[in-house]
Amino acid sequence: MIRAVNLTKSYHRHKHVVPVLQGIDLELQPGEFLSIVGASGSGKSTLLHVLGTLDKADSGMIFFGDERIDQLSSKERDRYRNEKFGFIFQFYHLLPELSAMENVMMPGLIGSSLFSWWQKRKQIKKRATELLERVGLGHRLHHKPREMSGGEMQRTAIARALIASPKVLFADEPTGNLDAEAADEIIRLLREINREERVTILMVTHNLELARLSDRVVKMSSGKFSPLSVNAPPLGYQPLNDIPHLCLPAPQV
Amino acid sequence: MYKFLLCLRYLRTRYLAFVCIVSVMLGVATLIVVNSVMAGFSTKLKDRFRGLHTDVTIESPNMNGFSTPAAELKEKILNSRAGEFIEAMTETVEVFGMATFELYLQSGGSEPITMPVQVIGIDPEARAKLGGFAQYLTTPSRREKPSFELDPKALARWHHLHPPVDIPEHKPLIPGAPPLPDPPRDPVKPMGCFPGFAITHYRSTDPVTGAVNHKPLLLMGDSIRIVTASATKRLEPVYADFAIADSIQTEIPEYDRGFFWVKLEDLQTIRGMPGRCSHIHIRLKDYSKNKEAVEALREIFPDEREAIVQTWEDKNRTLLDAIDTERGILNLLLFMIVGVAGFSVLAVFSMIVREKTRDIGILKSLGASDRGVMSIFLGYGLLLGGLGAGLGIALGLTIVHYINPIEQFLSKNTGVGFDRRVYYFEELPTHVQPEMVALVTIGALLISVLFSVLPALRAAMLKPVRALRYE
Ligand SMILES: Nc1ncnc2c1ncn2[C@@H]1O[C@H](COP(=O)(O)OP(=O)(O)OP(=O)(O)O)[C@@H](O)[C@H]1O
Ligand SMILES: [Mg+2]
Repeated sequence: MIRAVNLTKSYHRHKHVVPVLQGIDLELQPGEFLSIVGASGSGKSTLLHVLGTLDKADSGMIFFGDERIDQLSSKERDRYRNEKFGFIFQFYHLLPELSAMENVMMPGLIGSSLFSWWQKRKQIKKRATELLERVGLGHRLHHKPREMSGGEMQRTAIARALIASPKVLFADEPTGNLDAEAADEIIRLLREINREERVTILMVTHNLELARLSDRVVKMSSGKFSPLSVNAPPLGYQPLNDIPHLCLPAPQV
Repeated sequence: MYKFLLCLRYLRTRYLAFVCIVSVMLGVATLIVVNSVMAGFSTKLKDRFRGLHTDVTIESPNMNGFSTPAAELKEKILNSRAGEFIEAMTETVEVFGMATFELYLQSGGSEPITMPVQVIGIDPEARAKLGGFAQYLTTPSRREKPSFELDPKALARWHHLHPPVDIPEHKPLIPGAPPLPDPPRDPVKPMGCFPGFAITHYRSTDPVTGAVNHKPLLLMGDSIRIVTASATKRLEPVYADFAIADSIQTEIPEYDRGFFWVKLEDLQTIRGMPGRCSHIHIRLKDYSKNKEAVEALREIFPDEREAIVQTWEDKNRTLLDAIDTERGILNLLLFMIVGVAGFSVLAVFSMIVREKTRDIGILKSLGASDRGVMSIFLGYGLLLGGLGAGLGIALGLTIVHYINPIEQFLSKNTGVGFDRRVYYFEELPTHVQPEMVALVTIGALLISVLFSVLPALRAAMLKPVRALRYE
């Protein structure tokens, strides 16, 4: 589904070069749920942004299916983010002025002109309501973000990420600000969505316990994928089943 | 689509936006009020000037007037090429003079008062056809068919003040013959005049309320003596007594203090210039053709030493130019104020963009284009400008509508107001020009958009990753 080849990126700070990505190779299978773990500052968020066309790598290639997406025009990249990708952030990143419903519909609004919105508005509204019900917020449709709990906000954000039926979900520490129980719920929700809608998910998390619920876990350290444990072979990434202590209890998709 | 939604939501939740709206509103309202009042003044002034000076004047530079009889001059004009431009025409005699009258003091005595005036001899009905005269008569009933006849009350007063000369009782010379008829009582019919309003009235300020009102100094039927120069071969002082028939209030202090209108024939007689005149006043059929008309008239009066042909605008050129210049400068200054309002838009917008940095990142991560983000903020600027301008128009027009009660309230409570000793206008004249309102509105919109361009550009350039990390 998504393939990255030898991605590098570094920041320049007063003549200092801060390498952030140092040759990342990654391949995501369609419908796969991949977790990235790693120390703070190892470049996980940066990788996610680069893959999601929010940011640009210095070198390397990114493919979506067969299409190379890292060199697209900004207009086409906007379209990718609007239609094919969904983002979930640690701080929810909902628009504070809008209700849950409006937040969820936002990608639909952005993607349509005044006229096409008029045509599609019923359909988009219906889908937004369904999604909010799906994430268990049927009773919170018209609440503003500040009137919701963290878990509720994150579920709203998930509904928003799903509105355009994206192919890939990028989730950057979606549970970072939640307590264990809410975090668990969110991950299970992602897992269900991944199974039911066959959405490919790339999640960054600090929580190894939660990472175990995904199909595969890779570890990043200083801009590279590294072995998960001292015993593990130094592969860029490895199938989850090769790592006994991270074996997924649930059956494979 | 999302742009409209966000613009509206940002408007509803951002109190900062109201700072913008209010500053644009105040700017627009000020411009409208100031312009309307200035336009009111200048329209009123121009209206008076044009009325009093008439469209075109042929004037003799010689105080003795034209040597050719007026009737001949008029015929010559009407038969020439200029005739087709002319709607109405009348001759006048205008000359400097001195007016003197007796002022009765409260202490009991009296004191003579003398003042310089411009004596204008007119045929009242013919002059009324030219406009800018009859409507200024103080007594409304005279405006219809103006004449210098005194009304009965005024006439009675005149007779009272000028008792007939007592002729000693006469006895029939031949005894038994029938008695002689009584001699006519005061056969002298007074010559009527219209002094300027400020000659016959004075201004009194009520010590308690501070209200200014006009009190009569002279009554109708009172007499005023005019002393001026003859127009005969040898210059001689001449004088005559006139009875006040009415006064003329143009609300322009200069004219109300200085003009003294009398009957043409009376002045001609006094000055010894029967049938002659010093000015010919013309009303044109179509004032827009004034250049052609003046040109045609100059063909008849080619010699500037004999006659000067001028439109009312030529005559008042300096004052009219001064008014325009003043207005231009004031507008420039006021637009700077609106410019300051523009900077407040800039400041507030920069703050809003900063506050909304995270939202911009979110929108971009959801697929909003740079252009889309920019148009949110440009649209927002336009919306604020539009709302501000709309409210400003409403506020400005309301103030203009109630300017006089407001002015009275202000001058009563703070003492700041427009000085009625400077202007004779009872009320602040206002004139709202739609094109001025449109111009001000467009200007305000332009400024608010112009000043939101920079913050909007900044918002559009914002890297989404940067914006998202902003927490
Ligand atoms: N704009 C920037 N300028 C310079 N350095 C940056 C910039 N943004 C990120 N970095 C650096 O890049 C490195 C990687 O950042 P990144 O946010 O990808 O790490 P992360 O793995 O997501 O960390 P965390 O787990 O704390 O979220 C960090 O060392 C950070 O300091
Ligand atoms: Mg991170």
